[in-house]
Amino acid sequence: MIEVRDLRVRYGTRVVADVPVLDVGEGECVAIVGESGSGKSTTLLSLLGLTPDAEISGQIRVCGLDVRTAPPRRLREIRGARAALVMQSPQAALSPATRLGVLMRRALRLHGREATEQIMSEAMEAVLLDPALLRRYPHEVSGGQAQRFAIALAIALGAEVILADEPTSALDVTVQAEVVGVLRRLRAERGLALLLVSHDLALVSTIADRVLVMKDGVVVESGAAAEVLAAPSHPYTRELLEALP
Amino acid sequence: MTMLRAERVTLGYGKRPVVHDVSLDITEGGVGLIGESGSGKTTLARAFLGLLTPMSGNIWYGDKTLKKADLRAFRKDVQPVFQAEALDPRMRIGSSIAEALPRGDRARVRELLEQVGLDPDLAARRPHQLSGGQRQRVVIARALAVGPGLLILDEPTSALDVTVQAKILDLLAGLDTERLLITHNLAVVERLCRTSHVLFAGRIVESGPTKDLLAKPAHPYTKALRDAVPKLGGAPPEARGRTEAVPAATGCPYRLRCPIAVPECEQAPALRDAGGGRQVACHRAGDVT
Repeated sequence: MIEVRDLRVRYGTRVVADVPVLDVGEGECVAIVGESGSGKSTTLLSLLGLTPDAEISGQIRVCGLDVRTAPPRRLREIRGARAALVMQSPQAALSPATRLGVLMRRALRLHGREATEQIMSEAMEAVLLDPALLRRYPHEVSGGQAQRFAIALAIALGAEVILADEPTSALDVTVQAEVVGVLRRLRAERGLALLLVSHDLALVSTIADRVLVMKDGVVVESGAAAEVLAAPSHPYTRELLEALP
Repeated sequence: MTMLRAERVTLGYGKRPVVHDVSLDITEGGVGLIGESGSGKTTLARAFLGLLTPMSGNIWYGDKTLKKADLRAFRKDVQPVFQAEALDPRMRIGSSIAEALPRGDRARVRELLEQVGLDPDLAARRPHQLSGGQRQRVVIARALAVGPGLLILDEPTSALDVTVQAKILDLLAGLDTERLLITHNLAVVERLCRTSHVLFAGRIVESGPTKDLLAKPAHPYTKALRDAVPKLGGAPPEARGRTEAVPAATGCPYRLRCPIAVPECEQAPALRDAGGGRQVACHRAGDVT
């Protein structure tokens, strides 16, 4: 789903992300962890060509498409559809004056898809939301519901991989558990791949297959999540783990 | 010793109550208020700071209610620590702290910066020139400037990276002031508070020694909160019951979400003594496993 080799993202002369290898296969969950400014979000956005001011080198393939050389029309076919983006604050990403159903229908049409009630209801049910919520405005649903709606949009558009930037860090723990549950189910049932950016090592340890630890733009350690987090070899990973309250 | 006491306090905005009939003491060893967004924890903190007048009930400061207490002395004794964004972006750090000191004592500013583990030369900087962790230390230094006996901390570390959070927690744990800590982070409460109160929909559903509360929750909501926290290398966090049902307007507020609710829960449970310094408001407290 995602294949990255020798990715370098630069703003001017400053390298903000340097990622030698990043692969996410079908049904896999890979997490990028690190602190503010480590380059984890920049890495994620660069994979979909969403860092327009940055200078990028290396190879990025998402759903088989070479993101760096693909014409904009081809890129639009995967961005937001086969490769969906879920951000930290869904309510900020949803137009406040538009009902959820209208938002979903618009997104489907924008990508040239059919927007039937059935497709929309099925997508809502896949994330355990009542399809009746499609009649609501974004401010009329909770944060957890809005985040699951963002995932439902991805499902309606036939996402094969979801790139999620801190998808649960604005949510209460009980609601986070529910969103995580939905993502796990989609992985198991649909083979959905997941690239997760998070600062929460404990959360990552419970859902990720593999993990990349970033610091100051550099991947300092990577490997199987269970191994890296149980027996970290880099001092920074150890520092992160020891800092957990 | 009890520094502040809420006695059957109901709080709200306009005519709508959001905290209902809450009684709690701020005692030694740190007190935690735990709950999710909208549970009323910040509203309760505002009342303890004298920034919100109760619709009914009283906040006691020593032997006087806040309405009658000497507010000058109270404000020196009880200081808030909010998230670091509370600093004036145009003011230099030193001036921000000196504002709270008599005659803007600059030598004391340097002492305070050192006390919170900052280089005193940072006094000349402005907030945007500092990191998030440094700004949070400045906010703590400013609260300490008046020599308070109690800090009221509202999510003091939730915007910080874990390594920075760990250092701020060390700093707070080492201060000899008492604290009321408001947070949704159970691990932080465990570290800093001997006693905790769990709020749901503006009501205390469980109180007691923090360690016992988290080791063996007696209320299904406390259990749901505890089990939802991901543990390093543990099983994925588990959602229990319907996490998004709105609190019930009558009876037990948690019953629509509760996985073990019974018809009896349509009657509101009273907060009752459960032994070992614990209190719980649940008809099925004995069945929470």
